[in-house]
Amino acid sequence: MSKQQAAIVSAGFCEHASKRSDVNMAEMANEAIQDCLNNANIEMDAVDAIVMGNMPAFEGANLPELWMTDWVGARDKPLIRVTTGGTTGGSVAIAGYYHVAAGLPGIETVLAVAFEQQSCGNTSVGLSSVALGEISIVNALGLPAESAMRIFGAGAAIGIASYQAINYMKRSGCTEEDLARVVVQNRRNAAKNWWTHLKMPDYTIEQVMATPYVSYPLRFGMVTPASDGACAVLFTREEIAKDTVDIPAYVNGVSSVANETGIVGYAAAGAGQLDPCEQLGAVESAKLAYSQAGISFPEKEIDYAEVYSPFPNQELMWLERLGLFKENTAHLRYRDGTTAPNGELPVNCSGGVNSTNAIGASGLERVAEAALQIMGKAENQVPKTVHTSIGHGWGGCINFVTLTVLSDQPRRK
Amino acid sequence: MNKVGIVGYYQVPPALDHNMGRYELIFQAVRGALDNVGLKHKDVTSVVSATNDYYDGRTISNCFTVEAGGGYMKDETKVEMDGAFAVHYGMLRALTGHHKLVLVWGGSMSSCYPYSSSTLLSTDPTFERPLELINDMTAGAFQMRAYMNHFNVSAEDIAQVAVKNRRNATSNELALPESQLPAATTEMILKADVLSSPVTELMYSHPCDGAACIILAPEQQALKIRDDPVWITGVGYSQEAYYLGDRDLTQSQSMKNAAQMAYKMAGVKDPKKETDVAEVFEHFAHEEMIFSEALGFCKPGEGASLSTEIGGELPINPSGGAMSGNTPCATGMIRLIEAAKQIHGDASEHQVKDVHRVVASGQIGLCAQNNILFVLERGGRK
Amino acid sequence: MVKLEYLKKEYEKTRQMPGKWPLSSYRYKFNITHFQPFLKALKEKRLIGLKCRSCNTVSFPPKLVCGKCLVQPDQWVALRDTGMVATFTANYMKDETTGELQSFPVIAIQQDGADTTFLTQLNPAVKFEDVYVGMPVKVKWKNQPEGNLGDIEYYDVIDDATKKMKLQNE
Repeated sequence: MSKQQAAIVSAGFCEHASKRSDVNMAEMANEAIQDCLNNANIEMDAVDAIVMGNMPAFEGANLPELWMTDWVGARDKPLIRVTTGGTTGGSVAIAGYYHVAAGLPGIETVLAVAFEQQSCGNTSVGLSSVALGEISIVNALGLPAESAMRIFGAGAAIGIASYQAINYMKRSGCTEEDLARVVVQNRRNAAKNWWTHLKMPDYTIEQVMATPYVSYPLRFGMVTPASDGACAVLFTREEIAKDTVDIPAYVNGVSSVANETGIVGYAAAGAGQLDPCEQLGAVESAKLAYSQAGISFPEKEIDYAEVYSPFPNQELMWLERLGLFKENTAHLRYRDGTTAPNGELPVNCSGGVNSTNAIGASGLERVAEAALQIMGKAENQVPKTVHTSIGHGWGGCINFVTLTVLSDQPRRK
Repeated sequence: MNKVGIVGYYQVPPALDHNMGRYELIFQAVRGALDNVGLKHKDVTSVVSATNDYYDGRTISNCFTVEAGGGYMKDETKVEMDGAFAVHYGMLRALTGHHKLVLVWGGSMSSCYPYSSSTLLSTDPTFERPLELINDMTAGAFQMRAYMNHFNVSAEDIAQVAVKNRRNATSNELALPESQLPAATTEMILKADVLSSPVTELMYSHPCDGAACIILAPEQQALKIRDDPVWITGVGYSQEAYYLGDRDLTQSQSMKNAAQMAYKMAGVKDPKKETDVAEVFEHFAHEEMIFSEALGFCKPGEGASLSTEIGGELPINPSGGAMSGNTPCATGMIRLIEAAKQIHGDASEHQVKDVHRVVASGQIGLCAQNNILFVLERGGRK
Repeated sequence: MVKLEYLKKEYEKTRQMPGKWPLSSYRYKFNITHFQPFLKALKEKRLIGLKCRSCNTVSFPPKLVCGKCLVQPDQWVALRDTGMVATFTANYMKDETTGELQSFPVIAIQQDGADTTFLTQLNPAVKFEDVYVGMPVKVKWKNQPEGNLGDIEYYDVIDDATKKMKLQNE
């Protein structure tokens, strides 16, 4: 048991769509795994352990890793499943890293798999059940069920995003057009990747602004889709990685700092964050992961970012909290094209979560794309050389954040 | 070589229907573990929890437990399996050197949910779930009958395991009061209500409310905290095929794989001689026998002839095992806690003499599809 | 208008099975003990928060555990009945009779004297467009409080002194 440098050598996806009715979740996860193994020319036999993750409530299947054994190649192999809501994918990537980095004898190559088949279940039921326990308690304490549902219903993902959007717009002076601009960039990027869901090469700001509000200030045209999809990433030790690919993406920093449960929540937990834009967890995560990776000036040292932003305002917010742009200036960087694929700091060239959102898989897809950009194998490869990139995840009740820092050089000892 | 030590632990006494909320239960476990070794919340750098969305009746079951579980501004994550797997992940976190103190907790309140329907939801949704024929109980019955038939083992032999565990539970102050039967006899076990023939109610470890917490630290840190940490010297885990038809139910392939990996890591060559106590998570009485065979304590089919009571050749489950209170998501972790207590000599009435090395296991799935095994050893300065 | 063809790719259909998650058969437990003084105060039209002795954070609504310090706060402090909108959103609901889409403002308020937010309802007469972050609000009590969470009927808008000051300055 001695510490190892972990690296990503391959990533695979399955085709994402709103209803992958042609496959079940096991077959869907298998597609991504096949793609991942093929890309690195590796057989399943070479995989020593598996880390899996999804949000089980969306598919209505408890402990899916058990019956999916043969589809993910886990027979007679070590497997654990981590799940943390929206950050599941990010947590799977981090678990994959720890499995390799801990250096247990016999565990050298680890397959990380995350998937979500949202069409199997009812996503809004899945989401509202986050607070179901709280709602039932509040109801028992005398708040009428109707009011409780109304108050906490607005706390579901989109509601929280609009809380954030309102506060962010007030802070930074960013306009609705700025939000639309983020969406347009994402959807156009998505059109350049084969596996993404909402491919819209000709999307314009005017088209976004012509759609009705879903929850002020977020419009229908800005909202993330609900997708079916899966992603697989292969983690291995430094020496194996060097033999497998030309440029491995070394994992140099990981963190997943939890904040207090925000906004939603009542008696025993929650209601801790005054400003949903503050995101102390993200700030702390960034500090931790950057220090592990030896990054002192993130705005200068990071060349590429994949951030988890189902809604456009979050993309702006995260880029600031993760230290890539100065406070309240992210929307200006979208105006001047800094974040475009050919810009100074390209962001979400995969199209991001705004274009494709298979919730459990989204966090891992961010890490996968950030790695592919370093390896030079991304579909929508940026023209500049990427030395350091980050993959970020967000979830829970706006309180979970995962961050993975990748580089083309191993960590400085 | 780096290793990880268990420096603190706490188990909330189990109950069939605890008179407290979920957050209180978790808070008690976490606070208790920290207070037991005099650590502060700010010393913790990472928190790993083990809960289950279906057992808690909510999506993202760790979402609201950040405060009560000590996860505020800590590197936090969740393993949705048995607590023993969460301990494994916590150990990996400590091994990398990123974390100096990892807090692992797990628990659930089975009084709040229909346990049987949540196990039904974990079966294959295409073929098995609509038929509603297979659940944890029927799968256990399949296995017990297959084991009895194949090795010519009698129901009395298997009932004997339940007798031993329920008697052992009597001396364990943290056992579920309802599980303790000081005057248990094989006849009593066999004549109890049938859950699914041939499994009777008293051969089954009943789900109950509870929570547990373990604190892990890497070698140097562990020695700063206490003089006698319990070292994790080996760990192994493996998952076998899902469909019962694909498996040989008379043995546990996953436990064999897990044991092979863990023994190799810990340098154990003759497990029967080199192990002083085993704490295994047995969902049913017959699983303990199958495990003792898979762990290399005896030959296949000879589990019944091994003397496993306290004071015997190789005591298995002196605490009463999972039969003394099966808290979904914490049971495996409680086995680890019991193992650590045996090594520390803290096990009060069910203490085994001179314990240096203990193996402890956790499991998940029908007929223990995924097993994890830890080898724990007495620590201290050399 | 946006073209939506990309959404409609048809895939072959695999076999589908019905399934359900019987959430209604769960019962969620909650220990009311630590909440009791708060509910009692509501009956007397008073608001109280819980203060953590270790970090002095006042939580309203009262929290069981202070996440920062991992201790149970046990010091009750009186709060004023005014507060400030920390953030807000609208919830859209269909009117059951007319089928019209109605928007309900939902606000998170920071009670004066507390350090946490509280998710609640605004006076239904207030238009969503008029709500802003920092808007001062005041509790509207139910006529006959019963000692439960329903006693706070909603929050009412009060005069914003900062706005007046700004106007005077101009």
